[in-house]
Amino acid sequence: MKSTWIRLLAVVFSLALVAAACGSDTGTADTSGADDAAASLEAAQQAAEDAEARAAEAEDRAAEAEKAAEEAAMADDSEPAAAPASDRLVVTVSGPERSDAEAGALNAALEEFGNANGIAIVYKGSANWEADINIQLEAGSNPDISIFPQPGKLADFARDGRVLALPDEITEAVSANWTDSVMDFGNVDGTQFGVPNKNDLKSLVWYQPARFEAAGYTIPETLDELWALSDTMIADGNTPWCIGIESGQATGWAFTDWVEDMMLRTTTPENYDAWTTGELPFSSPEVTSAMETVLGEWNKPGAVFAAGGSIATTAFQANGEPLVNGDCMMHRQASFFSSFFPEGTPAADGTEGAVDVFYFPEGSTGRPVLGSGTLAGAFEDRPEVWAVMEYFGSPEYANARQVAQETLKRGDSETVVLSGFNTANLGADASLWHPLEQSFVGILQGAEVLRFDGSDLMPADVGAGTFWSEGTAMVNGDKSVADAAAAIDASWPS
Amino acid sequence: MATVLHQPKQPGIGERIYQRLTDVPTWALWFLVLVWTIPSFGLFANSFRDRDAQRNDAFWNLLSERRGTLENYEAVLSSGATNDLTDSLITSLAIAVPATIIPIAFAAFAAYGFAWIDFKGRKWLFIATVSLLAIPLQVALIPLLQLFGDGTPFGGAHLTMPLTDKTLTVLPLNNLAGKASSVWLTHTGFAMPFSIFLLHNYISQLPKELFESARIDGANHFGIFWRLVLPLSIPALASFAIFQFLWTWNDYLIANTMLGFESSAPTTVRIANLAGDFDNTDHLLTAAAFVQAFVPVSVFFALQRYFVRGLLAGSVKG
Repeated sequence: MKSTWIRLLAVVFSLALVAAACGSDTGTADTSGADDAAASLEAAQQAAEDAEARAAEAEDRAAEAEKAAEEAAMADDSEPAAAPASDRLVVTVSGPERSDAEAGALNAALEEFGNANGIAIVYKGSANWEADINIQLEAGSNPDISIFPQPGKLADFARDGRVLALPDEITEAVSANWTDSVMDFGNVDGTQFGVPNKNDLKSLVWYQPARFEAAGYTIPETLDELWALSDTMIADGNTPWCIGIESGQATGWAFTDWVEDMMLRTTTPENYDAWTTGELPFSSPEVTSAMETVLGEWNKPGAVFAAGGSIATTAFQANGEPLVNGDCMMHRQASFFSSFFPEGTPAADGTEGAVDVFYFPEGSTGRPVLGSGTLAGAFEDRPEVWAVMEYFGSPEYANARQVAQETLKRGDSETVVLSGFNTANLGADASLWHPLEQSFVGILQGAEVLRFDGSDLMPADVGAGTFWSEGTAMVNGDKSVADAAAAIDASWPS
Repeated sequence: MATVLHQPKQPGIGERIYQRLTDVPTWALWFLVLVWTIPSFGLFANSFRDRDAQRNDAFWNLLSERRGTLENYEAVLSSGATNDLTDSLITSLAIAVPATIIPIAFAAFAAYGFAWIDFKGRKWLFIATVSLLAIPLQVALIPLLQLFGDGTPFGGAHLTMPLTDKTLTVLPLNNLAGKASSVWLTHTGFAMPFSIFLLHNYISQLPKELFESARIDGANHFGIFWRLVLPLSIPALASFAIFQFLWTWNDYLIANTMLGFESSAPTTVRIANLAGDFDNTDHLLTAAAFVQAFVPVSVFFALQRYFVRGLLAGSVKG
């Protein structure tokens, strides 16, 4: 029976070898595969010398072939020989931006820089970015750079020592292109970790100028005027607001944006900062009154059109269509919302069905702007990685990405279209943008008091957790403001 | 005692349930089938409607609109786009086919061994193997990724020989991260308990006389396995192949975790990336879902006759 066992073993073993050999199927790894196979054989059998000789032979052959290829390339002097792909420095970048237009434009902008500097830059977007980056860091297979949609996560990683602080010269070079308030987004405890990548502007109300004109409404200048306008619309039989906060796992974030804008308008910027760092609890009168103001306006009879039946079951993307159809008059949403209107909706061009924006009116605290954006953070300390990091903060990146993204979005259109990419980069060439987005870029570039989306600044447990979920419970009426605020405070990591 | 013997035989609980089920009229079953199919059908109808139509009205307006379009399919299958699905279908096949064949190859040997080779501790080893069914694969993702990594902190499994400088690679697993083979190996490992269980149940039901006569004719274990067991187990192998192919084809988690930056993405990952958070391409998901479903559906129908036979593997004596 002994011979049978050996035969069985041999079959299993050879299958394993086949799997191993198939595993390293890239050109350069072929010889190492042979090496591995040789090593395994050595352990199992006595035919080691033979195998090793074969492996060495294979290696020699590969080297010869490589040499021949190189010589051929050298001989052909008419064309400058491009560096072989394997010789180029490689920088890997991951991030949550992943659709055709977003990832395509990012890759185009990176390729432009990479080709000019001999770096092969690979960007991969993932729908599962937040979970992926945790797993990759644990397993040591992380990318060189990741683009963070949330500074809170960047700060968590920075405090854990996973994201590397920017070298001084990079910080200096990048900060020349951004205002201090934008650079501060990537600043953790006084050290610069993040490079601003793209920005969105949140204090905006979308509306149709033609409908406002027909009904005789004027754009409100103050918060009180906005609420008065909302009441007038209800009295006229119009629905003032389109609201929907459903967004899959992130359901509730649209509500948190409203609360943040209200915080900036009903209390001081210092209180806002204290709130986002946890010093001012959710159950404090400043915060609860901001939340109550929002819910009070939403809960007025006839104030809200929700396409999905209720606010919490209406996807945030689903508010563009009803605004254009006239189901509601206004929709408060960030600048990126331009991509959620039905195809072919004109923007800011004075035509009948065009959509436009006005600034979400100021309250008693000056003219604050709520913004958000993504930040690049580096995990590896290599010169080429820092070169790419510096590029993310440069006007060249902003312009190259805008051109690429606008081209990808444009399709057959002959005029400039909305790209959905906005930046606060001071060196960005605004003339590359659509007129509507030119105003976004203008507001972002000129903003002195710019505050980052508060839920993104809070610890992820709160800002990407209970603030969303408890906020949704408040909107549904399942919980009172006081109960929900207490629950959020309880979840704040100590 | 005698009275017990003369009592009329009561039908067992199983028989009674079977009786009741056969009384259910066919139209009721058709009704259930219809209800269960509605979501898929809605998705299918929506895949022929453009973005605005999908967002405005429900799918049953397709007929009244009279403006069905193939644009969605063109968009997801057009080459050159970042999220073009044609490349990814090939990547998916490159993952799913080996990840189906390798576990079958291993499990068929193991199942034969557990069923017909007498060795010490066979029963306990079998129980241990099958009880691994209870281990969720999510817990092993990070260790596996480390094992497939480039050696830091402990990629591969190495053995340094004492007194020499030679390091032997016991398991040549390092530097597999990002390669399709790391996905195959992961799928193989986690398919083992179920595949061994399923094939063991089938193979152990084969008539003993076959093996005895083969033994008399001078066949050894390998001969028996190769000439008798494999041909007789085709239904069980095929039905497991269907299961495994469907799982690996539809898998998102392992492919997304293991593949990283080096390979192109399989269809599931591409579809997840099709609609960005801030983009207007979510209407393409309907068409993409049916492009993705086309392959497993064809595999299912191609192997369907084995499927029913294999599902009954071990449950009915034949």
